[in-house]
Amino acid sequence: MLDEIKELPAKYPQPRSAVMPALDLAQEELGHLTPEAMSEVASALDLDPGYVEGVATFYSLFHHRPIGKHRFYVCTNLSCMLRGAGEIVDHLKQQIGVSSSEQVSPDGLFSFEEVECLGACEYAPMMRLDHRFHYDLSPEKIDTLIADRKRLLPTGGEVSAKPTEGQAPPVKKPRAPRKKKDA
Amino acid sequence: MAPADITNEVKTSGLRGRGGAGFATGIKWSFIKRDAPGPKYVVVNADESEPGTAKDRYILENSPHMVVEGILIAAYAVGANQAWVYIRGEYDEPYRMLTEAIEEARAKGYIGPKPMGKDYPLDIRLYRGHGAYICGEETALLESLEGKRAQPRSRPPFPAVKGAWGRPTLLNNVETLATVPAIINMGGAAYAKLGTDKSPGTRLLTVSGNVRKPGVYEVEFGKTFRHVIMDLAGGPPEGRKVKVFWPGGSSAPVLPESMLDVTTDAEALAAARSMAGSGGVIVMDDTHCVVKAAHRLLQFYAYESCGKCTPCRIGQDWAVRTYERILANEGSQIELDTLQRVSDGLQNGRCLCGLGDSGGWVIDSTLRHFREEYEDHALRHECNVGKVMANA
Repeated sequence: MLDEIKELPAKYPQPRSAVMPALDLAQEELGHLTPEAMSEVASALDLDPGYVEGVATFYSLFHHRPIGKHRFYVCTNLSCMLRGAGEIVDHLKQQIGVSSSEQVSPDGLFSFEEVECLGACEYAPMMRLDHRFHYDLSPEKIDTLIADRKRLLPTGGEVSAKPTEGQAPPVKKPRAPRKKKDA
Repeated sequence: MAPADITNEVKTSGLRGRGGAGFATGIKWSFIKRDAPGPKYVVVNADESEPGTAKDRYILENSPHMVVEGILIAAYAVGANQAWVYIRGEYDEPYRMLTEAIEEARAKGYIGPKPMGKDYPLDIRLYRGHGAYICGEETALLESLEGKRAQPRSRPPFPAVKGAWGRPTLLNNVETLATVPAIINMGGAAYAKLGTDKSPGTRLLTVSGNVRKPGVYEVEFGKTFRHVIMDLAGGPPEGRKVKVFWPGGSSAPVLPESMLDVTTDAEALAAARSMAGSGGVIVMDDTHCVVKAAHRLLQFYAYESCGKCTPCRIGQDWAVRTYERILANEGSQIELDTLQRVSDGLQNGRCLCGLGDSGGWVIDSTLRHFREEYEDHALRHECNVGKVMANA
């Protein structure tokens, strides 16, 4: 990972721009950013550790304590709130057995966070989970998403092959190669 | 077409930025000195995060090629050889779609060292945000792109002179750039015939909240919000009434139901003491409490304040605590006066960017149109919204 991080600065007009992509790599590997990880990123990028920590603590997608393998980012801003986001959060907390965004479910699988607008207000209430948006949430959909993830193989690779029934966001299939247009 | 002709065509079209501030796009392009030596950049603001706004996501997922085309036209017009798309980190699918579209453009030879045989190297790269509303503000976005905490810069210098990495930079919103290909195809004059005289064209309105058909709708400027909310989005659910709507994202001052006939153009909205903003139309029906909604939005602005300007850092938080007291039935006239005072303190250029004003506008406009509801909470310690429902 450190080798990969050391290659990042050259990709930008000025090396400092590499700090967030580098923190991304660290977080991807460790699950969250430890003080040691931030220090290592700093020295790999030849930056002050305090500077790197300052950046890492500014942005909400960097985590500084352990999070669940699957983190529910539930929007509770106005458009979602008006369509029942509060109930979704309450139900979710109950189902995964945590009461705050700082806790992780005992099996280590789940944690959640109430987040600000995610930019899919026409599908409210909605959330982000495992790098995907999930739309038009209901308690039943939450249950299915949790159950699907509990069925994961212990090796932890992929989401179960069975698609979640009625789940809104269409998973875009890889496109078929386009036919060449004439001239 | 010569670069100057492209910029002129955009000027003629009357296109205004679709991100929120509504600045004339062609004029913005003309601020960049095309012949100045050294690198110049086009930076695309794809950090859509204004509550109630989802149109850039919609464009990126459905027409990423249109965005790519707009970027190429803009880059050529202002003399930039490198474009950066700053896309919010939560937009996984749009990121994949745009990446794919850029790769397709590269494969087709539209971008690269010699796009379409022209000696004009051009490349587009993506940079992912990591969760900060403030990055929608252009100078905060630039700070973030440079690997810093996203705190707005004071201007001047403006980005056109000193933007990304200290170089002249054109910053445009996704929707703005996605509109450019149409303008070049149909001609600026033809585009200017759409919409109203001062707000030409169409824009994407995201309609969300208590409506039957929430969605992203392309609407010609000059239509009424009644048309948008009641006809296009199907109006509120059965048995409920529209109570209030935010016409341009959560930062746009609210308008009550009695103002549904205001039109969507910037001039009509300014006359109604609101703004066109980002085109996020949030509709709230009569089963919801305005004070609670305002409290939620102030929590948002307090959380997202970057901390650079004192009025915003302190004021938004102060407002939240005041709302908390009011909603805990501990309010009095003092809390109402405090809200008004904090609201005034947040506005009118006391902060480097619009985030401060935005919180102030939420307080100010909800107080202006729904004072009685505030007084119910603060003075009489009751919420009558539920009761109205029970009687209905």
